[in-house]
Parts: sequence; structure tokens; C-alpha cells
Amino acid sequence: MDALVSPILLFGGCVLGAIGVAMSLPRKGLNPQVIGALIAALAGGVLLIGLGVKAGPSNLPNINFYLFSLIALGASLRVITHPRPVYAALYFILTILSSAGLYVLLGAEFMAFALVIVYAGAILITYLFVIMLATESPTADQVEALSPFDRYAREPVLASFVGFLLVAALSVMMARGVSVLPETSNYAAAQNLNDLPKKVETALRDAKLMDKDESIARDADGAYQLDLFPYAGGPGTVTIAYGEGRTRVLSTDHPDWPKDLRLTNVEGVAFALLRDHPGSIEVAGVVLLMAMLGAVVLARKKVELDEQAKLAAERRSLADEFAPQNSPLMGPSVPGSPTVREAPTRSLGEPSRPAASGGAA
Amino acid sequence: MIDAVLTIAQSQTPGPMAQATLFHYLIVSALMFGIGLIGFLTRRNLIIMFLCTELMFQAAGIALIAFSRFHLNHTGETFVIFVLTIAAAEAALALALVVLLFRRRETLDAGVWSQLRG
Repeated sequence: MDALVSPILLFGGCVLGAIGVAMSLPRKGLNPQVIGALIAALAGGVLLIGLGVKAGPSNLPNINFYLFSLIALGASLRVITHPRPVYAALYFILTILSSAGLYVLLGAEFMAFALVIVYAGAILITYLFVIMLATESPTADQVEALSPFDRYAREPVLASFVGFLLVAALSVMMARGVSVLPETSNYAAAQNLNDLPKKVETALRDAKLMDKDESIARDADGAYQLDLFPYAGGPGTVTIAYGEGRTRVLSTDHPDWPKDLRLTNVEGVAFALLRDHPGSIEVAGVVLLMAMLGAVVLARKKVELDEQAKLAAERRSLADEFAPQNSPLMGPSVPGSPTVREAPTRSLGEPSRPAASGGAA
Repeated sequence: MIDAVLTIAQSQTPGPMAQATLFHYLIVSALMFGIGLIGFLTRRNLIIMFLCTELMFQAAGIALIAFSRFHLNHTGETFVIFVLTIAAAEAALALALVVLLFRRRETLDAGVWSQLRG
């Protein structure tokens, strides 16, 4: 713990953060939101600088980390303090984008893309739609369009205390046995490169280590003879077939060996997802399907009339429309005269009205 | 060859000043989780409350990706895919519920539902 950050700074930062967040939450009467946000930002700065001091200059995270994490934390603070739900959702998108930046810094570019597409593209749009659907429209004489439950937070002081108690506990717990991110020199996932012979072939051709008519040799079973990371250690080997059944062995120690030949993040995730955890995608698909069904069942309006009854109702209302006493302007009614056009809209619209309010029962 | 297997975190940043400790990412994650929790406890708008749960999911995602990088495998990233899936499922269901609740009482105030009857 002491090696990472001095406890005084950590707990001081937590207390400061709690005060700042509590002050910046919307409340009745006095509203020191800006001061609270400044104090919270100061707390975040104290925490990060405290970490940086202990980490020493050689382990200092790069400037992008500070940039992205400050944007992410500031935007998430704004999510919980902004009184207007639409703005809160937009600030949440900002949080998502900057955490995608943090993902890229951690070398997880596939997840960063997935995050932006799924979260910012799909989930947040759903949120925005629902916010716009389910908001009371302000009346004309209302100056303050916000409803009171948006303007006043509930128990801001207590909640901030609890939240930052959790943060302090979490960070003390996580500080045990944590050190610098390891070198990626013995990347376990790089083993999967052996299963991508075409990629290796292309890279070797680009590096002029293989000719066009050469290829990686296969043994009698058809398996590629490729062992880039031998279990015993030492340089790996590739067996290359050329001509009529002749082979030569290429070592990874070769001076021209392509240094950038490695598993990309997307390929690594694909191996982890589809080979190490087979079937998980199907489980996720079932979960999504169930959620979709559940959402449809929950949110649909109850249809009270079946087709037959609906048709009957339509016919009845049409008949009413053409009755002479209902259309005084028409004079003596002739079946099939112009009012036919409005009749269906009226008859279809009416039965759904009671369902809208009673559908939730 | 083996040295060439580097992640973007190291290869794209100049000089030796590139290595963050895992704890940097974990503390950002913890702070974001705390902010999400505070928001969930204090805000009274149903939609914002669900937005705050998404914030907590997001914090968990950062921690998982950092652990994935720390342990040099892709298991954490696989897990984040599931977090994303569950978040999407949760958003669909929760928002359907919110629409339903809004239709009943014509308000998004969570306090209105403090007394639920069976």
C-alpha cells in the first residue's frame, strides 16, 4: 500500500471527493454546484498526483491516461449532477468515449470499438428515446420546466459518504499485491500465432524470407509445421516447403524476421472467445433474445379486441356514419358516399384509448 | 521475435515514461464506480438511476480490461463482452419497465413507488 500511494493522500483525496460530490449534487435552496465540482476535481487530482509521485518517473502513466481519466470522471460526475436527463445521457456518452480511450491505452482496441458501437451507438440511443418518450411536457406558463424530483437530490451527504467509503475500501483492498504492468515479452496469448499459418506466411513473404512459390510445410496429417514458441524455450522454427518435397527450416532468430509479426488484439479476443470459451456467444445471444422478448411483452399495449370483434366494430361504426341522423349535411344518404374515408380512422383509434391506460394492469 | 509481441500501450508511446501501474487504472475504475453508486442513491429520476447502473458497469469494464492487460491474456476482454451483453439486455428490459411505470403514474419520480402493493 505504502509503495503505491501514501495513505494520507488516498484518504484525504477520498474525503475531499466526498465533500465535492455532496456539494455538487442538486439540492434545495443554496446550490454550490461549481464549487463542489472544483473540490471534486481537486480530489481526483490529489489522488492521481499522489499515485504518480510514488510510482516514480519511470513508471508514470503517459499523458493520455490523465487526459482520458479526468474527462471520464468529470463527465460521470456531471451525469449524476445534471438536472436534465437528456444532458445526463449525453455526458454519459462522453464518459463512454473517454473510457474507450482508456481501453485503447490498455491495448484492447477491439473492446474500445465494441464499446463505442454498442454503448454510445445502441444503448444510449435507446435511453435518449425513452427519456424523450417518458417526460412530462412542460406547460406554457411553467418557467422552470424541470420537475422537482430532477432538481433535488435525495440524501446527497449520506450517499457521498457511503460512496467514498466504498472507494476507500476498494482502493485499500486493491493496493495489496499490485505492481507495475508486466512486460508483454512472454505474452501467453501469442501462442495462438501458431494457428494462423496464412498470417505467418504473408508476413514472411513481405519480409522476403519466403518466395512466392514457397509455403509452410505440412506433415502427413496436414498440420502446419510451425512452432514459433517452443515449450522448452529458445527460438522458434518454421519449416518451409519448396520445390518437389524439399524443406528448409527457418528460425525466429533470423535477422530479417519480421518484428511486427504478432497477434493483433482482435485475433487474440477471437481465440479467447471462440476457442477458450466455446458456446459463450450462444449464451449471450440467448440472454439478448430473452431480454428482447421480455421488453416486448412488458412494453406492448394490450390488444383487447381480436380480429373478428375489431371488424365487427368497424362495420358498426361505418353503419353509424351512414345513418341519416348522423350526417345532416349529406342529405338523403347514398351508400358508398365520401365519408367512407374518415370512418376507419375513427373506429380504429377509439378502442385503443382505454387500453393505453389500462394496459399495464 | 518474442520482444516484438508488444501491446499498443507500450509501442505507441515514446520513451520509458509509458508504463502506468495497474493501480492507476483501478483507482479510476473505483472512483467511477463510487460516482455511479452515489448517483444511484441520490437521484430520484428512474432513467438517471438506470444510467448510473450503466456507469457502474462501465467502471467494472475498465477494471476488467486493466486486469486482462495485467495478466497478459484475453479473458478479461471476453468478460467485458458479456458485461456489454448484459448491459444491453438490462437496458432493454429496464427501459421497458420505465415506460410501463411512467404510463401508470405519469411521473418518473422513484419516490412515487415507495409503497408497492402486491
